[in-house]
Amino acid sequence: MTLAPHTEPQRDDAGRPVPPGSWLGWISTTDHKRIGLLTVGTSLVLLLVDGVFALLLRAQLAQPEEGFLSPHLYDQLFTMHGSGMIYTVMTPFAIGMGVYLVPLQIGAPGIALPRLTLLGHWLYVLGALTMLAGFATPTGAHADGWFSYPPMADSVHSPGTGPDLWIVGVCLAVTGSILMGWAVLWTVLRRRTRGMTMLRLPVFCWSMIATCLMVIGSFPALLAAMVLLGVGRADPDVFASNVWNIGYQHVFWFYGHPVVYVMFFPYLAAVAEVLAVFSGRRFFGYRGTALSLLVFAALSMSVWGHHMFATGQAANDYYSLTSIALLVPAGVEYFGMLGTVLGGRLRLRVPMLFALAFIPQFLIGGLTGIMVGTPVIDYHVTDSYFVVAHLHYVLFAGSAFGLFAAVYYWFPKVTGTLLDETMGRLHFWLLVIGTNLTFLPMFALGYLGMPRRVVTYARFDGFGLLNLLATIGAAFLAAGMTVFAVNVLWTLRRRHLGRAEPAGDDPWQGHTLEWATTSPPPRLNFPADRPLPPVTSFAPLLDRRKGGDAA
Amino acid sequence: MKRHLPAVLVAGWGVLNGLLLVVLAVYRENSMTYWLWGGVVLVVELAALAVLVSSRAGTDQHVRYRVRDRGAGGVLPAAIGLLLVALCPVYGLWLLVVAVPLLMLSVALAVHGTTARER
Repeated sequence: MTLAPHTEPQRDDAGRPVPPGSWLGWISTTDHKRIGLLTVGTSLVLLLVDGVFALLLRAQLAQPEEGFLSPHLYDQLFTMHGSGMIYTVMTPFAIGMGVYLVPLQIGAPGIALPRLTLLGHWLYVLGALTMLAGFATPTGAHADGWFSYPPMADSVHSPGTGPDLWIVGVCLAVTGSILMGWAVLWTVLRRRTRGMTMLRLPVFCWSMIATCLMVIGSFPALLAAMVLLGVGRADPDVFASNVWNIGYQHVFWFYGHPVVYVMFFPYLAAVAEVLAVFSGRRFFGYRGTALSLLVFAALSMSVWGHHMFATGQAANDYYSLTSIALLVPAGVEYFGMLGTVLGGRLRLRVPMLFALAFIPQFLIGGLTGIMVGTPVIDYHVTDSYFVVAHLHYVLFAGSAFGLFAAVYYWFPKVTGTLLDETMGRLHFWLLVIGTNLTFLPMFALGYLGMPRRVVTYARFDGFGLLNLLATIGAAFLAAGMTVFAVNVLWTLRRRHLGRAEPAGDDPWQGHTLEWATTSPPPRLNFPADRPLPPVTSFAPLLDRRKGGDAA
Repeated sequence: MKRHLPAVLVAGWGVLNGLLLVVLAVYRENSMTYWLWGGVVLVVELAALAVLVSSRAGTDQHVRYRVRDRGAGGVLPAAIGLLLVALCPVYGLWLLVVAVPLLMLSVALAVHGTTARER
């Protein structure tokens, strides 16, 4: 076990200590588990809010020439849905998982820079609220899409304070993510317990290294883009020439592509952990996967121009080349996942179901990404529903399924109680049906020429049936998310009343160190009377069960 | 080799990015993109070097350190103060009237040491 670190006891000069269970105890906590829970919990609430926005959008598009939403409100809703999901849901959830899990997985009693992490969390929360506050302004919330290109987003074409609030909110939320990302990176690099060498890190920790590198490397570009947009709104002459209109796109997409992997790697790694545990075997191709994550992170910063093919202002050949090169590390990761499952003794519990569904569904998102990374195809489908379908297959059919695999997998560690299996299975099947029914028709819609971000379409366009199918799918998604919310709240309520059956410290036969401590873990993560097992590989608990050193 | 693996990794990451930048140059991309990307690679490399130097200088830092928890009570007022400062370009400098006292309060709370008693 690691030596007990020095802690700061309640010294005479420690000021006024507050009880940990009080609201002040929660909002001023330096326990990484609480900060992680606050971040993940906030993200889940915002997931529901932004999900309701999506349902309103789908209701509007269910029929041709529908008038359920006004055009301006429709624009606000798709902007807040898209930007909210990216800036305030999937990214913070991924980093929040890192804040909670990384110290546990590396055997550390806490996170490095806990107060900075807490500041990051609160900046994120205030940023999210500021973005949403635009709805309370007379001209409404921001309405120019999550990337908000100038001159469309300048003060001439998008007047009002809603866009300004959105810019401020994005800056705060992203700053919060950067702070939390830096703390996670420093923790995994400098707080590992004895024996936990870099090549014994769990796959999830490797994913967080790659993720945080991208956060630190690319997120400041978004801050720069937001400052540029803010300056341009104050002085519209900035965007009078094409220099900064195209310049904005370069700076924005330098952030905009790596963030896709920030919203993907931690979920992919959660899936990898679940696949290994529920297959009863060590993760296959560990070193290749760790290396591929780093190569992926480096390549991710070289492909941004493929979002700009249609502008004619980017070196298409180069960006197409690097985009297609992403297939290599992606292939290594898929090889690892399939190699783990094949030949394993599978236990089809709810986390495993989500993890297994992730594999083919994300593949659709990834392969269509290669398609739109090819200029000739991109010219045809750019700004169409094909792109909407692609990004939702990546971020919902892929990442969100990884997110739910992670929630079901780590819920017993966090709370000491398992989520209900029956409701979990219902949630899973509703989501599988809803996801594919919603997003598969969008590929056809885009290919047939339906542009994205239109409030309605004419009857003679022939888009009615496919849109209706997509809206029915969205209803399935809403039902699935309702079941999930009920499951979580019902389980927590039963736990609160003492009626929930304890899950035990290691209900899944986990491989990594977080399963060696109590559920939930104590303040300093590992009880003093329970020594950590020797870390002999990236799966130390599996080694201990098998009674050998498998490094 | 194993001993120098971290340095090799950091150097390799830089070389890979450098190689990609060179290929980009072959395609004569806008000069702004080199500054943007090259600057980021440089910053990340410097951060990685800082980590490497830190790990060499304090070899037992990973097991001997303090778990900080004092003064966290000042974090939320600081975050709200920063929000108000950020809102100044939108609603005017008068917000500083609220923001500055909040930031001073956060400093006071940090110095005073208000914290959650978590153990």
